[in-house]
Amino acid sequence: MNRSTLPKGWDGFAHDWAADQKVFKGMSWGKAMMWIFLLSDTFIFSCLLISLLTGRASTAVSWPDASVVFGLEVFGVSVPLLLIAIMTFVLISSSGTMAIAVKYGYEKNRKLCTIFLLLTALCGAAFVSMQAFEWTKLIVHEGVSPWGNPFGAEQFGAFFFMITGFHGTHVTIGVIFLLIMARKVWRGDFDSGRRGYFTTMKSDYLAIEIMGLYWHFVDLVWVFIFAFFYLW
Amino acid sequence: MPEGDGYDYKIEAKAYTASSSGASVSPAESPDQELYHSKSWWTTYVFSQDAKYIGIQYFCAATAIAVLGLVLSVLMRVQLAYPGLNVLDPSTYYQAITMHGMIMVIFFLTALFLGGFGNFLIPLMCGARDMVFPYVNMMSFWIFLLSLLVLVASYLVPGGPTGAGWTLYPPQVITAGTPGNLWGLVLMLVSIVLFVVGFTMGGLNYVITVLQARTRGMTLMRMPLSVWGIFVATIIALLAFPALLVGGLMLLLDTVLGTSFYMPAIIATSNFGNEVSTEGGSPLLFQHLFWFFGHPEVYIVALPAFGIVSDLISVHARRNIFGYRMMVWAIIAIAALSFIVWAHHMYIAGFTPWFGFFFASTTLMIAIPTGIKMYNWLLTLWRGNIRFTVPMLFALAFFITFLNGGLTGMFMGNVGTDIALSDTYFVVAHFHFTIGIAPVLVVFGAVYHWFPLATGRMLDEGLGKIHFWITFVGAYMIYFPMHYQGLQGVPRRYFEMYNSSQASSSGLNEFITIVTIVVALSQLIFFYNIINSARAGKKAKKNPWDANSLEWQTPEMPPKHGNWGRTLPVVYRWPYDFNVPGASKDYIPQNVSPSQVRGAKAERT
Amino acid sequence: MLKHYKKQSHEIGVYLWIWGLLFVFSFFSYMVDYLNFEGTFRWTLIVIFMLSKAALIMAIFMHLFWERYAIVNVLLWPMTLMLLFVGIMAAESEYTLFTRLFYFIAGS
Repeated sequence: MNRSTLPKGWDGFAHDWAADQKVFKGMSWGKAMMWIFLLSDTFIFSCLLISLLTGRASTAVSWPDASVVFGLEVFGVSVPLLLIAIMTFVLISSSGTMAIAVKYGYEKNRKLCTIFLLLTALCGAAFVSMQAFEWTKLIVHEGVSPWGNPFGAEQFGAFFFMITGFHGTHVTIGVIFLLIMARKVWRGDFDSGRRGYFTTMKSDYLAIEIMGLYWHFVDLVWVFIFAFFYLW
Repeated sequence: MPEGDGYDYKIEAKAYTASSSGASVSPAESPDQELYHSKSWWTTYVFSQDAKYIGIQYFCAATAIAVLGLVLSVLMRVQLAYPGLNVLDPSTYYQAITMHGMIMVIFFLTALFLGGFGNFLIPLMCGARDMVFPYVNMMSFWIFLLSLLVLVASYLVPGGPTGAGWTLYPPQVITAGTPGNLWGLVLMLVSIVLFVVGFTMGGLNYVITVLQARTRGMTLMRMPLSVWGIFVATIIALLAFPALLVGGLMLLLDTVLGTSFYMPAIIATSNFGNEVSTEGGSPLLFQHLFWFFGHPEVYIVALPAFGIVSDLISVHARRNIFGYRMMVWAIIAIAALSFIVWAHHMYIAGFTPWFGFFFASTTLMIAIPTGIKMYNWLLTLWRGNIRFTVPMLFALAFFITFLNGGLTGMFMGNVGTDIALSDTYFVVAHFHFTIGIAPVLVVFGAVYHWFPLATGRMLDEGLGKIHFWITFVGAYMIYFPMHYQGLQGVPRRYFEMYNSSQASSSGLNEFITIVTIVVALSQLIFFYNIINSARAGKKAKKNPWDANSLEWQTPEMPPKHGNWGRTLPVVYRWPYDFNVPGASKDYIPQNVSPSQVRGAKAERT
Repeated sequence: MLKHYKKQSHEIGVYLWIWGLLFVFSFFSYMVDYLNFEGTFRWTLIVIFMLSKAALIMAIFMHLFWERYAIVNVLLWPMTLMLLFVGIMAAESEYTLFTRLFYFIAGS
């Protein structure tokens, strides 16, 4: 038998929704749950960004120029958005390593999977560190705070700290779970069927793909924050 | 579909050829769920991971907080009828309004329908052993309980709870002079954030259980409408609560850090002792975020009620639900429309003038699917073998009440009439009929219906009928006169009418208040009935209402941990095969295969 | 356990390709700022590069390209609600700004 028994495309869409047991055929509970959670989370970030653009468009005071505020001086030349560009680079790199980690997870390649998970966590940690650096620079050296800044509309600082803070929290949680996952893979929990500490349930390599979905989502959100906050 | 994705489709293929007992049912697609088995009293009854227990825990916690909401409403009524008694002053009156609204809408009804009935019914009705992630489900309840504690704690902090109305509109909610503008507001927002987090954990469970963990043969179009209502309401909640979360987060920052997301230039405010000047914020932004959540919230409460009432009517009228598919699509259509109507709560907020046309049109469009549901309930009753049991009485009462509330909704949805009626008692009457009384009547009906399943005993029928008539007639006597008051222009949120022209309604106010006290006290009958019947009620026979849906077909009643014993049930039909011509009994449960009812001309859906 | 579920194992080359493309698009969107494009042109470019990156991440890294339509539709249709919200708030914020300028400046 082959896969052709299950209809594809729009026929498959109708078939899956009309079928019993599962709507998402061949998808584990955990992965489906992560997808729906991400959908909900997307709405959170959408609301944040919509609020940002609304606040920006409705204030009568001029909005600070992000490319100047976030510029860095390198060897006496001021480069706009340099730190942000590096952060973007790092986060996209982490997404790439995560995708490869998922691939090796499916192939049950313990060693390579662990390495790429750790690489991803490293990139994530680097991203959070750079964000911490950026926050410090803004607060201490340039006097930007959530309730005011020297450049223009005070909502600028408020939205900046709220949105990047919320995203940074997501990254931090992701890094913590990446490290937990890396430990589990390295120890061979997914091969030996070792039970989870809290849930007392067995887990398997599907967990890596679920982790991957979350991590890619964090990257995805950054794409939108980069566009709407820094570039717009 | 590229080649080589490695998915084993063999099981699928077999499904099309299998034909045992005349009907083809696909084999199981995933292995049987491994359950958590508790080892101590604590993990069985307190930190339970069984959805049935979690549902009952949700039910008890939500009911407990509802009692607080009820007491607050009685206090407010006494204040309105007898201002001379001075039971409340303006501040405490506003705090009572705010807490009453927030408690009843979010912490009582949302938690009760989705957390309570959702947990209890979804796994049983879908033929699952439990929710898909029992541990997360348990966490959901405890975070919900924490949010309740934080909410109640706001009565203990300096300044008391926030008193800006449950809509929490800035800048008023933050500015000095509003009761509880500091600690009270912070605790309220923290409580909401906790609620959203807890709800998301539970909500994902409900959705995934419905989507991915149904038993063999249980297609979506064979699910009882209760599950459909709760399922779609959960999806709405998962997409609407983010707006509340973001709106609340920004309000929290405005309160604590002195940011000006919502604070316009004219306002100077003190926050926690520091004078803060704000400028450039947009109060309208909060209203949009709040109502982007707030309107779907109405349907988060209403859709489970719609679903449950459909089942009650069908079972107790011994008749298949009329237009099942239409009912499902109506639920989905209402859910979709609920997201594009939110600004009809803001007609007088000073928003863009040309929004009125768009939002009035979409709002009135909701009458179409709702009307379909109304007619279908009516046609289900038509020539049915109606049994006037207590659940049926409550279902019928819901029908009348919701119809009434829906009709006044036509007034509120139109911009012209709404501007005249805004902030009068007409609005109070409208929303209490639709999302206050109507869903609560369904809750009562559902409790009388499913109580035997939870405890194995029946609730007392006589006490139930007394409770029903006092509650139903009383509710009408409370809210019907409010329409008249509203048309006379009595404003809502006034703690006293003073010597204005509205003083003429004071006689009516006294009448309403006396009825309120009677209705509130009559709920004691309900609680007595529950406690007494759980202990010493009449033993229920298995499937006491002769219902078809799966929850009554468990091997034991009440169902044990894991629900189904050794093997999961297999579903062959929809849950509404009542009075099928040729069948020996007037009902055919969902797990009865066609070969077992050979003579019946059963509908195969 | 694993055998019951669809596997998402693809050639490593696919990921490397997409990885590279993401860098290219990021570079392009950075250049939009570096070269100081202004107005509608700037916003159009930003949105195009943003959506391209988002599409690549979702389709390839998150495997949506290989998923069945059942899940793809569930994930994408709700976004129309957000688009409506964006549209409404765009109109609303313009109107807020208009009233502010009207009453604070023209009206004073």
